[in-house]
Amino acid sequence: MDLFVSFILNGIGNGAIYASVALALVLIFRTTGLLNLAQGEMALFSTYFAWWLTSSFGMSIFLAIPVTIVASMAGGAAIERTLIRPVYGPGKSQLNVLIVMLGMFLALNALAQLLFSDQAEPMPKPWPTNSSAGDPTGSSQIVEVLGQRISWATIALAIALVVECVVLYVLFQRTKLGLKLRAVANNTESARLVGINSSAMLMLGWALSAGLGAFAGTLAASARGSVNPGLMAIILVYAFSAAALGGFDSPVGAVVGGMVVAIAEALTIGYVDALSGIELVVPFGIILLVLLVRPQGLFGRREVERV
Amino acid sequence: MRRSRNRALLAILAALVLLFGACSSRDDDSASSGGDGGGGEDGAEVEGIDTSECASDPTAEIEGDTIKIVSSYPQSGLTAAFAEIARGWTAYFEKVNAEGGVTIGDRTFQLEYEDLDDEYNPQQTASNIEELVGTDGEGAFAVFSVVGTANNINIRDFLGDLCVPDLFAATGSVAWGNPDYPWLTGSTLSPYSLESQAFVQYLEENQPGAKVGMLRQADEFGETYEESFRNAIEGTDIELVEVQEYPVGSDEVSSQVTALAGSGADAFFNGGTLLACPSALTAQQQEGWDVPTWVSGTCISKTLTGIAGAAADGVISMTNLKDPQNPKYDDDPDMVEFQEVVAEYASDFKGRELDPENAIIGYGYTQAELFVMAMEEAEAPTRLAIMDSVRNMEDVSTGLMLDGVSVTNGPEDNFLGETVQLVQYDAAEVHFDEIGELIDFEGQTAELTPEELING
Repeated sequence: MDLFVSFILNGIGNGAIYASVALALVLIFRTTGLLNLAQGEMALFSTYFAWWLTSSFGMSIFLAIPVTIVASMAGGAAIERTLIRPVYGPGKSQLNVLIVMLGMFLALNALAQLLFSDQAEPMPKPWPTNSSAGDPTGSSQIVEVLGQRISWATIALAIALVVECVVLYVLFQRTKLGLKLRAVANNTESARLVGINSSAMLMLGWALSAGLGAFAGTLAASARGSVNPGLMAIILVYAFSAAALGGFDSPVGAVVGGMVVAIAEALTIGYVDALSGIELVVPFGIILLVLLVRPQGLFGRREVERV
Repeated sequence: MRRSRNRALLAILAALVLLFGACSSRDDDSASSGGDGGGGEDGAEVEGIDTSECASDPTAEIEGDTIKIVSSYPQSGLTAAFAEIARGWTAYFEKVNAEGGVTIGDRTFQLEYEDLDDEYNPQQTASNIEELVGTDGEGAFAVFSVVGTANNINIRDFLGDLCVPDLFAATGSVAWGNPDYPWLTGSTLSPYSLESQAFVQYLEENQPGAKVGMLRQADEFGETYEESFRNAIEGTDIELVEVQEYPVGSDEVSSQVTALAGSGADAFFNGGTLLACPSALTAQQQEGWDVPTWVSGTCISKTLTGIAGAAADGVISMTNLKDPQNPKYDDDPDMVEFQEVVAEYASDFKGRELDPENAIIGYGYTQAELFVMAMEEAEAPTRLAIMDSVRNMEDVSTGLMLDGVSVTNGPEDNFLGETVQLVQYDAAEVHFDEIGELIDFEGQTAELTPEELING
């Protein structure tokens, strides 16, 4: 039983990472109707930036994360304005923007390696750690609950996910800005006619998504112990599958999808020896089944309006 | 409209999955097995090398006064850290050139070298080497220090047919003992199967009834650890109670470690490589699974132990070279000379800063030193003579090898790094300490390793 709980906890820790990146994907999809293939590498660039702040300026990770989020939002807005807008819109081919995003995928990874580091770099942790001599980032403290060891990394990732969800919910459902964002996503033309600055909203969508990705990437690197050039490529695949499972237009779906994928994977590793080394088959099998039955995903809406 | 949107999503998702799959299946063995059986038939001039099928003449003397050495290794991407190996060997080659060059017989040569980036991708390695060597073998004299098991497997047929030496392959694969490929030799990196053997011997002395849990990569590299471990525990009271595999390219192995910890194992063989290794140690610490732990010899670099930090404290592994991180060697004349040579000739290498504490630079330096020694011993400046010399080193030592370590190989034994030293990590002091005496496996690798792993 303890073992079972341990696998679930591993799944929750990873699921929180996948879900956070999936949320960023959903955010852009809902505001602009685009699937951002470069989401992972944008987050990687931000994460290296955060590492650089801590290692070159001795900045505390607690300060580096908000600074990185703000800088990434500016970066996300700039990307939308300079790279995406010229190739995306009514009457332009969907393929163009796809190619631009693939280009960004490769360019941002290479740029991060050129500017910051091409090696795995120890990432400080923004949660309670035990530091000891010779340990650059400290090791996550352990909390014992009912005899079950839980790492602070898992707790922090789960808390971060909840915070992200609350912030997004409040933004979209309880603010005027969120209303405008939703209006633009639902019907750009009508939104324009009632005086909403739709291009500003698109830029804001990218900014929010970049900021969210930066937050998720930094925490993922802290939890994994290091930031490295391959960190986000794998996570992005999981995030895509989480979003596909939950529905690309559903934040709730992103969270549920991320958790299902990660927990299914952890339990497969734990209990299905036959799939040792290819445990990914299980979560992807689940996704395939869901999409066959519900093409829009578990929580997706049937009508996906054109932006 | 809606359906096509969903189809587009699925198509993109599928494309991504494929892309990811392509990126992560780096160790696929796409080499054709076989080769031209060099069985030392009549007419072969050198024991173990049959030259009757050579596409180029291996007995032709080098023209001019330079020897062209080529290599292919990762210089960008996730495994770019391996480029530091080449910092070591280029520094040594430069030193040799500055001191006049290599003397073979009565002629002296300057060493010229060229390399290309393969990003650790075996297909890229093959095209790099074909480009550098040329389809006629005229482009280079020999291939040297190519990084990666699958990468060397991918070029051994091509080079074997041409009879171009592929020397000091930078991997500890046991496949370098395969007599069908006499033009390929490994390096001083110990064969992976000896790690299993060494850990079993350690446990026999310290924990005779150990129940071992093993983490290994889901490929031949991991299989070598597992099979040779099973081999090594035969006739002992040590049991292998649980083996967990992780996919190549993954560095998140917490659930595998949870399963190992939950299996009741009281010793841990961490066969993870690259980032999976520190990740496993961190997970082990979080599980509170505090048992004697072996880490792969591929995992004792400063970068990887630095990421694991305190979680790596007390882990055991093995090496045969002096560790620049260990203050014990601060005043060692050979270490001092090595540091001076590297600082002089390779302080700036491909735009990367020099880290004098990086042990793999010393590894690269050592391979170059062995190579030059073997060339100077060769009877003539021909491929065949130099190959023969590299294949028949007897009791050869270099400055960075631990005292008492030497290299011996021969027609029956193509393994170099068979004398090893157990080392244990001290996280507070940030280096490995040597524990116990040298272990001498000289000439035993073949019998300690399941044959199908060597001959594929």
